[in-house]
Amino acid sequence: MPKPRFKLVMKVQYFSLVFPSLLLFTVGLILPMILGVYYSLTSWDGYTKDFPFIGLGNFAKMLADPHTLDAWWFTIRFAFWNTLIQNLLALFFAVILDTGVKAKTFYRTVLFLPCLIAPIVAGFIWQHMYFDVLPGFNALLGTKVNFGLFGKSSTVLLGLLIVNNWQFVGYWMLIYLAALQSIPRELYESAFVDGASFRIQFLKITIPMLAPAFTICIVGITVGSLRVYDLLVSATTGGPGRASTSIIYHIYNTALNARQYGYGSALSISLIIVLLVIAVVQLGVLRRREVQL
Amino acid sequence: MIGSRIHTARDRWTAFTRKLCLQIFMIVISAALLLPIFTVINFSFKTRKELYVDNPLALPHSLYLDNYISALERLNVGTTFINTFLYTTLSVFFLAVLSGAAAWAIARNRGRFYRFTYLYFLLGILIPFQALFLPIYIVGNAFHLTNTFYGIILMYVATGLSFSIFLMTSFMSQVPVELEEAAQMDGASIYRTYFRIVLPLLKPAIATLVILQAFAIWNDYLLASLFVSKSSLKTLNVLFQQLFSTTSSNYSTAMAGVMISVVPISILFVALQRYFIKGLTAGAVKG
Repeated sequence: MPKPRFKLVMKVQYFSLVFPSLLLFTVGLILPMILGVYYSLTSWDGYTKDFPFIGLGNFAKMLADPHTLDAWWFTIRFAFWNTLIQNLLALFFAVILDTGVKAKTFYRTVLFLPCLIAPIVAGFIWQHMYFDVLPGFNALLGTKVNFGLFGKSSTVLLGLLIVNNWQFVGYWMLIYLAALQSIPRELYESAFVDGASFRIQFLKITIPMLAPAFTICIVGITVGSLRVYDLLVSATTGGPGRASTSIIYHIYNTALNARQYGYGSALSISLIIVLLVIAVVQLGVLRRREVQL
Repeated sequence: MIGSRIHTARDRWTAFTRKLCLQIFMIVISAALLLPIFTVINFSFKTRKELYVDNPLALPHSLYLDNYISALERLNVGTTFINTFLYTTLSVFFLAVLSGAAAWAIARNRGRFYRFTYLYFLLGILIPFQALFLPIYIVGNAFHLTNTFYGIILMYVATGLSFSIFLMTSFMSQVPVELEEAAQMDGASIYRTYFRIVLPLLKPAIATLVILQAFAIWNDYLLASLFVSKSSLKTLNVLFQQLFSTTSSNYSTAMAGVMISVVPISILFVALQRYFIKGLTAGAVKG
């Protein structure tokens, strides 16, 4: 048994191991969050030393500001379609790769490759794909398809969804694939002996066994899509007009270009609240489902 | 893999056509997915004339390297590449050491304080730093961290800690307590035990952390564009965006620039691929 004094030394030493992380995390993330709440209650312009307190004025303003509402509407549509399409595609490709298709490693690499590219660079590449490269097919085939998806506010969302799915389907597919491969073979064998069809095996074994992967992918894609910014900067600069201005892009414009730090902070805090509520609701629902299965 | 019955020749034939269709489908999909990457490589070797006159899908006529030379020059690679490299490696190094230490202390102390600390860190996973970029920028300004070399590293570490500690804690069960106890019996201090015994045992976890965080930092644009405006401190992505915004006409140079920024992280990926998949799936499989 260590002596009591030695125990105290150990306690201090253990604490000194977490302390640097605690300090950095608090200063770098928690302090900004607390200050953000404070700024959100003021009409601070980012320059002056006084912080005019206006209570919940910024939050009231938000509900009547068409730019903010447009930014939310775009962000929510982007997140909704992304979560739906990306999960379905990722699962679809994972199932295909799991059925013993030839050259599996090659397909896995191809699907994952775009993930290595920074979103800001991916936006740049696709800007040129839509306006310069894909029209090359029109010249070859004599067709007249309009590939300039970023050019019209009615198609910009579709264009961005294509880019984002191209980039990240492979990432989420790897998670589904690993989960598929961890399902014990005996489950399928016994179902097979009982004469269960492909469809029944998929619905009664595969889907339930994937529950933890569903949780990770659904929450991950939703949270990831709600904070979209880098891609928009290079692909559309939030346009045409304001058609692809996400909430983070809107905060950037409001605070750093229009110098409304108070209002911008209020937008940040509202985004945090939305993110937390969505994550908690999704985790709650999905975890409960995991337990039931 | 789902089992299916194969009895007759007809069944075998159906299975064969199904497999063939699947294979053709995957080849078409792969071609579509590779087209943008093919374009980057293709355009990076095109002359200006080829860029504007030829069909965009046509290959260049010769191995034209001027785009790479001018990309190296215009992207100020001597500075920006080194900056990006140093921000990434130093941030990842500190993340590994700090999150390993914190995760170990949390795993070995079951008290209320450490349980609270763990939950406190987890809060950061649900609150992505992008959502807080404005107050983070304000705090960074107040502490004079903007436009400094260490300031941006500090911010990368601060914003990456939550996930790193979560990852390290999930690996901690693989570190046997017996070894640590033996070392402590021999009079080794906590620090000595951590650096000599625990940290080496965490190597696979660190490899996973390195690759996941290196990606995030190397590819980051938002934080770097906010924190750094001095040209001697800029990263590849920041300068890339400034030089080759959508209005730029000479995009074959930009495509060579894309290659320069993507190749290093791809090499890291190939080297640590094994750990990458392990890290992605640790949570998905165990739940």
